[in-house]
Amino acid sequence: MRKAFNTKPQMKDEKLILICEDEPTLRELIRASLNGAYEFAEARDGFDALGLARELTPDAVVLDLMLPRKSGFEVLAELREDERLRSIPVLVMTAWSDMLDDALAAGADAFISKPFDPDDLKIAVDELLAGQ
Amino acid sequence: MTRFRLGSLSLEGRLLAASCLLAILVAGVFVAFILALSSLRKATREETQAKNVTTAALQLENLVLDADNALRTYVLTRRPRVLAPYYSAKKQLPLRLSKLQHLVAKDPAQARRVTELSTEIQDYRVTFAEAVLVIAKESFPAARSATKTEGNRRVADIRMRFAELLRSENARTVDRSESASDRSQRATAIGVAGLSASTVLIILFGLYLARSIAHPVRAAAAGATRFAEGDLSTRLEESGPGEVGELERAFNEMAERLARARRELEAQNTQLRESERLKTELVNTVSHELRTPLASVLGFTSILLSREFGAETRRHYLGIVDAQARRLSSLIDDFLDVRRIEQGRFELAYELLDLGALLQEESELYRGQSGKHRLELAVPPDPLPVRGDPDRLRQVIGNLLSNAIKYSPDGGIVELAAERDGDAVRIQVRDEGVGIPVKQQPGIFTKFFRGDMAGSGIGGTGLGLAVSRDIVESHGGRIGFTSAEGEGTTFWLELPGANGVGGDSPQGEQAQES
Repeated sequence: MRKAFNTKPQMKDEKLILICEDEPTLRELIRASLNGAYEFAEARDGFDALGLARELTPDAVVLDLMLPRKSGFEVLAELREDERLRSIPVLVMTAWSDMLDDALAAGADAFISKPFDPDDLKIAVDELLAGQ
Repeated sequence: MTRFRLGSLSLEGRLLAASCLLAILVAGVFVAFILALSSLRKATREETQAKNVTTAALQLENLVLDADNALRTYVLTRRPRVLAPYYSAKKQLPLRLSKLQHLVAKDPAQARRVTELSTEIQDYRVTFAEAVLVIAKESFPAARSATKTEGNRRVADIRMRFAELLRSENARTVDRSESASDRSQRATAIGVAGLSASTVLIILFGLYLARSIAHPVRAAAAGATRFAEGDLSTRLEESGPGEVGELERAFNEMAERLARARRELEAQNTQLRESERLKTELVNTVSHELRTPLASVLGFTSILLSREFGAETRRHYLGIVDAQARRLSSLIDDFLDVRRIEQGRFELAYELLDLGALLQEESELYRGQSGKHRLELAVPPDPLPVRGDPDRLRQVIGNLLSNAIKYSPDGGIVELAAERDGDAVRIQVRDEGVGIPVKQQPGIFTKFFRGDMAGSGIGGTGLGLAVSRDIVESHGGRIGFTSAEGEGTTFWLELPGANGVGGDSPQGEQAQES
């Protein structure tokens, strides 16, 4: 899949994924799950997440819904309001599977619940990037 | 004064009294009317009686005059035939006399007059008329002369007595009928007055009933309806008389009790809702708190199993799995502690221990956990002997240290200090972190209380401080804090020192408590 992907013409050499997660071990787990195939930017809270998104214009966002200072929902809403960032695919993750509908309604493109299978995460992110 | 006396009577008493008064009044009116009636009847009877007396007297007089006239005619005409009325009168006289005597028997004055009259008439007949008849057999002129002189005198005398009798009878009749009429008028007047008075009183009584019973009862009914519709602040004016007043007071008391009961229920309800909310929050917290380390454990295990890594990376990931698994384990310990506290099964294994050494160990343990924080330890060189459960005390210190690190996300100094304070030992954990907002300070030791931290991304169950306080208080100590938002927090705790074991006791000596 990644091969097929890589054959397409690209603006950048490697896709940039913005990881928004307050728990350091989970950030590391996400990085490890994605197998280091991408470039990563990391945000510990909602403010950082929006700041980095505006600054770097990532190719995809992995967004935890429970973030300090600004919740994942708020981050998602602001991303969807921003002309430039609107089309960035967002994968939300949370321990609350009942937030699925809310997250999709708020504009999330994919959803994964904690705890997650690393392979599932990788597949989901790859699909998001392929569908761009 | 009457009002006061009325006011002290019960409503039942008042109604009874009013009814009795009315009954007496009506009875009085009847008596007055009956008296008037009987007076009238008596007057009529007396009038008839007087008429009878007059008639009888006149008949008697006529009889006597007829007899006298027959006698005079006989001595003039010398014809015995004309004496018929005389003999007839002579025959009727005793009956007529006794009839008159009977009629006036109840009146002594008239009876005396009739008796005198009767004597006179008998006297006339026996000593004069019979004598004249005897004389007439001898000589008519002598008899005639006797009738002219003696006869005239006697008849005039009799007539005079009759006149007197009739006059006095007449006078008495007039007298009596006047007094009877007076009495009757008076009785009628009293009766009419009584009747009017009872009418007025009955109307007043009705008004009183309406005002004092119907109105308050209606007000009470309206109040009860309002109350039933849910306005628990409804109260009645306690102005009704007697039993109605009691009803109003009882209603108000009932209303007060119900309102109080509802307030209590509402308070309980609020408490229940609060505890329900805390429980829901706990479930959320627990699942979130468990899921985060669980996600790490499962995720890294899965990666380690399915992919190949170098030894270094593998070790690193295994280290993460180990730490997160421990975190899970300690979370579960916290929950169990809470359950033990709630069920009163929190038992401590006391030992004599050196708090200084314990603090040393804990600070070593936490020093390695954060690169951003500088952990400083300040304990006196002498041992700090206390009697306590070392595992539990470690748990408290560990909790305070992990809080200090957790709530100073930008790093800084975390200071752990201990000192002797009289007989007690005082421990402080100071950080330079976010501090505790004043608003949240009162709830900081409440179970599952996490303040604004629930959504802050700083993990926690809200159990650590609650459990810590329980442990410290079980040791007979105290725990507290000072904090300024944005500047940091200092938690302190005081434990009673172990008496009799001074600073010269050998370090590390531990005595198992049975």
